Amino acid sequence: MPQLALTEAVFYILLSLQKPLHGYGIIQNVGELSNGRVKLAAGTLYGALNSLVDKGWIDALPENPESRKKEYVITNSGLIVLKEELARLSELVDNGKRLLGGN
Amino acid sequence: MRRVVHKLFWIWQLEKEQAWVNEMASHGYALEHAGRLRFEFDETEPDKYIYKEIFLKGWGESAENIKYFRFLEEMGIKVVCYINYPGTCWVYTRALKKDYPDGIELYSDIDSKITYQKVMAAYMILVIALTLGAGILNLWMALFNSYRILPLNLVCAILVFALCIAAVIAEINFLANLRRLKKERKLHE
Repeated sequence: MPQLALTEAVFYILLSLQKPLHGYGIIQNVGELSNGRVKLAAGTLYGALNSLVDKGWIDALPENPESRKKEYVITNSGLIVLKEELARLSELVDNGKRLLGGN
Repeated sequence: MRRVVHKLFWIWQLEKEQAWVNEMASHGYALEHAGRLRFEFDETEPDKYIYKEIFLKGWGESAENIKYFRFLEEMGIKVVCYINYPGTCWVYTRALKKDYPDGIELYSDIDSKITYQKVMAAYMILVIALTLGAGILNLWMALFNSYRILPLNLVCAILVFALCIAAVIAEINFLANLRRLKKERKLHE
């Protein structure tokens, strides 16, 4: 069965977690990657992070006792999902450009 | 200096209460504690904080909510206090206005907005069921009690039915929001 499309938030969270980041770091990184267009809200991020951990697409790293901030990082299965989504998005972009005559 | 204000807001008047708390903050009164009718403010510089009130499933002390509160703190959003209701809690959060100049937005995608509206709608059904049951019981006691007429029960029935009608109006609003969001989700994320 083909994988269902990821939400924009999940795509950017997975993309951000190629290096370990805590929640606030993810929000900042997603903002930078999208030139400020995507602003993740705290509640949405919290729900997404829990779902991604449950699916095994990201791991919660052991807590740093100094910062008390939980960090997350993408897993191998998360990386596979991310690459599949990138291929799906590329197909959309290629077809759009071909039929609309863009470059 | 602490200032105590007594004010009544019904459970479905979350937005109205939040607007009032933020107005107080804009005048230099930061909410430090809230009870069901009592609000305690500390004097601070005007516009220092911005507040957001939210409903959550379960009581404030539940492990899941404590985890969520910790996560919010990492985002610079502090839980000031909460009030427990059956199966839910009403939470007062705040952040520095310089960090959240456009206000605290906890949900940025349609799915989480839908979940939130569903929680609110489900809770309001509970309020409707309880007030309707209490209203019918009081009316029955007022009208069919064979020993004596109980005007107190009649007054109670009227008040509780009025609450029930207000809760039905709130429920209609939540369901309308839910329908609008679901319609939007068919086209957008």
